[in-house]
Amino acid sequence: MINPLLELKEVSYKNKNNFTLNKLSLRIKSGEKIALLGKSGAGKTTLISILNGTLKPNKGRVKLFNTEFDKLNLYQKSKISTIWQDLRLIEDLSAEQNVNCGLLGKQSFLFAFKNLLNISSFNKAHQYMQVCNLKKSIFSKNIRKISGGQKQRVAIARSLIQESDILLADEPFNNLDPKLTSNIKNLLLITKNKNKIKVPNTTLISLHRLDLLDGFNRIIGMKNGEILFDLEKTKLKKYHLNKIY
Amino acid sequence: MNKLKLNSSSITFLQILVCIPIAYELFINFHIGGIELFKEFIISAFNPKINNEIIFTLVKRLNETIFIAFFSWLISIIFGVIFGILSSEIFYKILNLPIFLKRFLNLFLTFIRSIHEIIWGLILLQIYGINFSIGIIAICIPYVAINAKVFSEQIENINLKTIESIKQINGIKSSTLITLVWAPVIETFKNFGLYRLECAIRSTAVLGLFGIGGIGTSIFLSFQTLNFRELWTYLWGLAFLIIISKKLLKRFNLSNTSKNFLTSFVIALFCISLFSLSFFVYFIFNKNAIPFNSINNLLISNFNFISYDFLKLLLETIVLCLLSTGIAISFPPIFILILNNKIGITIIRIISFLFRLIPPPVLILLLLMFNDPSISLAAITLGLHNAAITSKLLLANLHNQDNKQYIAMKSLGVAKRSSWLFGLFVKQSKSYLAYCAYRSEIIIRETAILGVIGGVGLGWQLQESLSSFAWEEVLVILFAYSSIAIIGELINGKIKSNLT
Repeated sequence: MINPLLELKEVSYKNKNNFTLNKLSLRIKSGEKIALLGKSGAGKTTLISILNGTLKPNKGRVKLFNTEFDKLNLYQKSKISTIWQDLRLIEDLSAEQNVNCGLLGKQSFLFAFKNLLNISSFNKAHQYMQVCNLKKSIFSKNIRKISGGQKQRVAIARSLIQESDILLADEPFNNLDPKLTSNIKNLLLITKNKNKIKVPNTTLISLHRLDLLDGFNRIIGMKNGEILFDLEKTKLKKYHLNKIY
Repeated sequence: MNKLKLNSSSITFLQILVCIPIAYELFINFHIGGIELFKEFIISAFNPKINNEIIFTLVKRLNETIFIAFFSWLISIIFGVIFGILSSEIFYKILNLPIFLKRFLNLFLTFIRSIHEIIWGLILLQIYGINFSIGIIAICIPYVAINAKVFSEQIENINLKTIESIKQINGIKSSTLITLVWAPVIETFKNFGLYRLECAIRSTAVLGLFGIGGIGTSIFLSFQTLNFRELWTYLWGLAFLIIISKKLLKRFNLSNTSKNFLTSFVIALFCISLFSLSFFVYFIFNKNAIPFNSINNLLISNFNFISYDFLKLLLETIVLCLLSTGIAISFPPIFILILNNKIGITIIRIISFLFRLIPPPVLILLLLMFNDPSISLAAITLGLHNAAITSKLLLANLHNQDNKQYIAMKSLGVAKRSSWLFGLFVKQSKSYLAYCAYRSEIIIRETAILGVIGGVGLGWQLQESLSSFAWEEVLVILFAYSSIAIIGELINGKIKSNLT
């Protein structure tokens, strides 16, 4: 049996607002393209936060590369990148500085310092920003001064530049028009791309729009903090969706 | 019967009630012995002494002032940022350090902050004798703690989710920390740090009055010899320095500077930090500390000092704080309301500039020409000096405020003053009171200066105890000052959180 990249075992979590995840178990293998479906408040964001180690479960185990999350070193942890639903960019920095922040896991302190002083190299950041359909004119603009769709793509570029193995994305197509949605979806799901940039081989994306399910090979449905179904894309039927919506 | 309901506007105006006891005491103590001197002082403002000797002294003293103020400002900003980061929660979250270290550091900084630079200056003077470095160190000690508080408050405002997202990139901890704190530090430096240079110049001038050097020393010497024309030459020189420094700093824009300049600036900051740290260590362990050994007496002394007199002085200091704060809060809106036209506002601006310019110790000495020393005299001095600062802020905020409501009220035929009150001031009153709450913390610290000169409160006793090297008394007074300041800070924190 192939070892999973990321594994949840009987994970339970309860937050201050009494929202709970109940004994979730999940195995994510290399190369999987997973769509995470569910209504707002179903627990998708909480699940993603547990998968990337931001939230610690009250019970159960989270393993990455078959190692307990707490025992991982920074290099191993940096193999996961996340696109947050609320983007979580640094408001006072420029778009290119924000994208460069994605390189913090691989670079020294001097790089971080030079990035803040605006004297570091932005070549790689620009490459990823262009791939995310961002125009050159916004590269050096302050993040406060760009539109919601542009911010969304800056956040995507920041996570892609990490060149991680696993990408966790929480509703990454918000704020994007249909054409951009299609482009970005293809970018996130197709590993070999013409842009010669490394895109994570394994992806878990939370979605609301069912018309975007093409390209995924596994679908997970959540409701009230529980996984109601977890199946291959080809086996998804309408009644599965009725369960969660 | 309807209950009296207080809002932030009425609270602002009601503070004027402090004038009743102040006016009564000032009236009782009034004399006209110094009226001729005061006339001469006013006339000299328009006729300052200008000759080669005075100009040479002025330039020399201004150079000293710039040197002390600039270095103390720069060092206090650099270490303010460092301690600001160290006393913010984010530092302990990212480095996974125990949070009690933060609380311990905050307590230490609160103590350092609560004691005015004049007191630090006087203590250092007693320990090390007259030394040029004392000015820099005396200003740096409380300024580092004040700056650290402001920087740390801004750093604490970083969105928790942003912290999580950068932490999740899993860079080395120092990279994560600097990436997160950079923007609030730079923003605070632009909004607050540059203004601190003006404060450092004022503090240098006040310290100079106590013989530490700079323009303040010349101001005090001219005042002592009643040479008012010479005094005004130095005061206008100080005004010129403050205005020029403000203009220069306004032009300084970090985001528009070239990469080479920025790199050199960072290297220079780093060198200054290292230099100042080594200088500080050298200064502390220098063998010039002549009577420092007498501090050993503390260990064997018995604290007989805590007596009725001490409690009386403590009470006087608290009353002085309350009265001065009342004046600082109520005077600006009342005078703007009364003199609500262009000429009136210009007069308020000029008078408030003069009250900011003349150091409080000189101001109280001027007022002593008409009045005997009393709490009221000290309160009016401190109140007027701080009212000049709060009025500057209030006028600037009123100017930047949207005045649609004011125009609408005027177009309805409402009287100009009523329109100003309900159309403009009401919107500002909360933030104005919140700023005044912060200002009152400074007033608490400043009571020390007037105490030393005006013979009231703990400041006077401190001067006495320092002169006689009674270190046990000094320690008790410092503890008392610190306690008042810490309690004041806690109360103001509550007020500010209710207002904002």
